[in-house]
Amino acid sequence: MNNSTHAVGDKLAEILTDYLKDNWVDSPSSKLTITATTNMVTELQLDSFQVMEFMLEVEDHYDIAIDLESLSNIQSITDLAGIVIAAHQD
Amino acid sequence: MSLLDKFDVVEQLMSGLESVGKNPTSVVFDTINSATEAVVEGRTTILAGTNNYLGLTFDQDCISAGVTALRTQGTGTTGSRMANGSYASHIKLETELADFFQCENAMVFSTGYAANLGVLTAVLGKGDAVLLDADAHASLYDGCRMSGADIFRFKHNDTHSLERRLQRLKERASRCLIIVEGMYSVLGDRAPLAEIVELKNRFGASLLVDEAHSLGVFGERGCGVAELDGVLDEVDFIVGTFSKSLGAMGGFCASRHDVLGLFRYVSRPFMFTASPSPAVMATTREALAQLRNRPGLRDALWSNANQLYSGLQKLGFELGPEISPVVAVRCKDRESALFNWDKLLEAGVYVNMMLPPATPGGASFLRCSISAAHTQEQINTIIEKFAGL
Repeated sequence: MNNSTHAVGDKLAEILTDYLKDNWVDSPSSKLTITATTNMVTELQLDSFQVMEFMLEVEDHYDIAIDLESLSNIQSITDLAGIVIAAHQD
Repeated sequence: MSLLDKFDVVEQLMSGLESVGKNPTSVVFDTINSATEAVVEGRTTILAGTNNYLGLTFDQDCISAGVTALRTQGTGTTGSRMANGSYASHIKLETELADFFQCENAMVFSTGYAANLGVLTAVLGKGDAVLLDADAHASLYDGCRMSGADIFRFKHNDTHSLERRLQRLKERASRCLIIVEGMYSVLGDRAPLAEIVELKNRFGASLLVDEAHSLGVFGERGCGVAELDGVLDEVDFIVGTFSKSLGAMGGFCASRHDVLGLFRYVSRPFMFTASPSPAVMATTREALAQLRNRPGLRDALWSNANQLYSGLQKLGFELGPEISPVVAVRCKDRESALFNWDKLLEAGVYVNMMLPPATPGGASFLRCSISAAHTQEQINTIIEKFAGL
């Protein structure tokens, strides 16, 4: 993981933590510590709806557009960081 | 892991539902008594979850039209219109739909689902962009995915979120299709169509509105939310279904663009499906005529919707954001939704249970849909049974 991926991953972890606390406060995943290496599917057990809703927050934070299809293989926050960086370069 | 192991998850989910009570996906109506009443497990049950907004499923003129078509044209068309040709009733219904929506073109599909798949795969292709309301129906998502277009979601009914995404698309915005529903099926809330049309025009995009749940419900003539908001002639494609207000089965697209006439040559969900049967076309045509000629049906529907919404509101239930023929009662969690749904059915009231992930905000709801055919007494009974939860 290079420096920019690391930095974006840290920021995404922060956005996801806030998103879960704001919207899914009763969910066990909102109590977990989230880092850039956290797996959203296996560790946080987010369903497809939650991932898509979180993505709206990410798009607005970075002012980017992320195609729904790019999310199909995302597991970890690091995976997502790669997509955010690529979208920034478009 | 074997090919079929993926069904273990489905089996677990279904077992989870059954552990609380009845499985809401396997209710059987032994007898259908009317548009608003059935027999379930020997109990007379009020139907408050059928989307039968105008209550036309037992209308005698619709039934007579269907019976006549069955007797004179047979039970089915046995193939697609591309291969087997069209029946006169397909063409007549398309002409009547175009006239109803005051546009030049309409096209009939075998189901509402097929209409969305058929239209979206025809309009969109690789390189095009879609801006889809986050709460849009699964058929709209599926149609977009099948088309190969790039799909971007915007926050539900949030025009600021839509505007930001149109800005991000830059020059691609003019090749973008915005997709919304007139009224959303879970909460019964409406799209802000006038504002969406303003954005569409400003960015040079196109707009598709799915009026599946709003046809026959909104607008002076019953065309839907686009008519209500005064933007019917600004919408590029209106899609909808015959299976709700029109009490039949099938779907349609109406458009002011002549290119709609060419969709039948490129739309695979149209080309490779058997066309709607003569009886379905006949009952749909009669129901459309009634929708147009009996505005009193809409008055009765809205009177019933007001009665149920205010009755449940007075009881302190958390409801959808606006009064509509869809009245969604928010439950505190999945378990209470399952428990209360079961309790209502035992008490003789059938409603829909809506569980995540197919729900806004991942919440669980007991969803009622009201009909013009409900009596005031039936609405009072529904309210009374909710009070007993």
